[in-house]
Amino acid sequence: MSGCGFLDAGTIELCFYGELEPAAAERVDAHVRACAVCQRHLEDLRAIRTALASRPRVDGPARGDWTSFTRRLDTAIASPATSQRMRTVVPWLAIAATLTVVTTGVLVTTRVHHEQPSAAREESSMPASLAAAEPPTVPQTAASAIAPDTAVVRDANRSLVQHSEEHFERSKLVVLGLATLDPQQARAGDWQHERQLAGSLLPDTRLYRLAAEQRGMTNLARVLGDLETVLLETSMADHPDAEALERVQRLIARRDLVVKMNVVGSGI
Amino acid sequence: MDGAFRSAADSDLVARAAAGDASAFHALVERHRAMVYRVAYQFAGNHHDAEDIAQDVFIKVYRSLNRFRYDAQLTSWLYRIVMNACIDHRRRHAPAGWAPFTEDAELRMLNTPEESPGPEDAAYGTEVGEVLEAEIARLPPGQRLVFTMRHHEGLKLCEIAEALGLAEGTVKRQLHAAVHRLRAALSASRVTVGGRA
Repeated sequence: MSGCGFLDAGTIELCFYGELEPAAAERVDAHVRACAVCQRHLEDLRAIRTALASRPRVDGPARGDWTSFTRRLDTAIASPATSQRMRTVVPWLAIAATLTVVTTGVLVTTRVHHEQPSAAREESSMPASLAAAEPPTVPQTAASAIAPDTAVVRDANRSLVQHSEEHFERSKLVVLGLATLDPQQARAGDWQHERQLAGSLLPDTRLYRLAAEQRGMTNLARVLGDLETVLLETSMADHPDAEALERVQRLIARRDLVVKMNVVGSGI
Repeated sequence: MDGAFRSAADSDLVARAAAGDASAFHALVERHRAMVYRVAYQFAGNHHDAEDIAQDVFIKVYRSLNRFRYDAQLTSWLYRIVMNACIDHRRRHAPAGWAPFTEDAELRMLNTPEESPGPEDAAYGTEVGEVLEAEIARLPPGQRLVFTMRHHEGLKLCEIAEALGLAEGTVKRQLHAAVHRLRAALSASRVTVGGRA
């Protein structure tokens, strides 16, 4: 802490980056003229900008040649593992299409069965090709396609993992935010947002954890359980002081939570 | 880039790519690869890892095309994927924890600088720049990403917050902490930033 409110609140940086409203910027300018600490900080920021501007800007592979990058990416995308991910929607579409065919078939069969007398009466007026057609039946392939429950279960599990992955992405930002705070410097207000967010993430975390447990997805359930503990501890911190933050950070570190969330998320 | 896609909106390209149009996906990659690579390089500090991260990003984009929210900015979505790819990369290379990078930057290409400082500034800046780059590589991942997105990508704090899904206050804090560490590192290395005039 420098002892200067403008500096400690990060306002000097906002002013440097031109992100303050004109009136606020004027106030900060007036302050800086009288504050040696802030003057020094601004000089450092300018020096950092100048120094970084002198470094090469690297926005592509060596010699700007993207050929091997593109070839490698094309190969990766063409690989079955990647393509399979892209096709995750296909099994659901297949099931939906199958169900539609089955339902339609059953309805039409029922209707034909009920309307058999009148249909018979009209048979003479129907085109020969339609009159000779077999009555609609449940397609054998369709029936067999939905018979194995394992496919549905597998897709449901995949869906749960996918949702969990998204949930981890949201939660990871909270966990990272907490893990990178300096407990000795952080004030209660500094992690208030994380505490609120932790509370709002808690119900979904619990829901996913229970679902994972029910499905026997032990690893996923365990990581979700760890996350739940951290979120609970964070949201329940009555006295959000350095000690409470350190406690949360210890929980994160002991459980290696960031790593585990990444492993589970990338291991789909 | 295919001329037909040159003026196409990102969301159109995503929709076409999601429907299986490979050339639309290539157009997306070509349009955004420099930004992705730049952030990846700033994070990793060398071409080898930057390319790995950029590959991961675009593979993830490809896999997630059908999950893109069309009311969102593609760049925000991309930044988030880049952030996760950087963290994943970090995890793979430092499984024991968040230890600093020890690998030196590889060959540095002499591309055009962001700004054009004068010769004296450039000479001074190069020296300090090396110290800074080494320190940036030692920043915690969150601070490094925020600092990179602010200084190298020129994103406003609110844009970084949106891209990373963080509160603006958190982003401001991370940036403040990053600047604090960089200043401390410069002092420690006896490069007197303020005393050059």
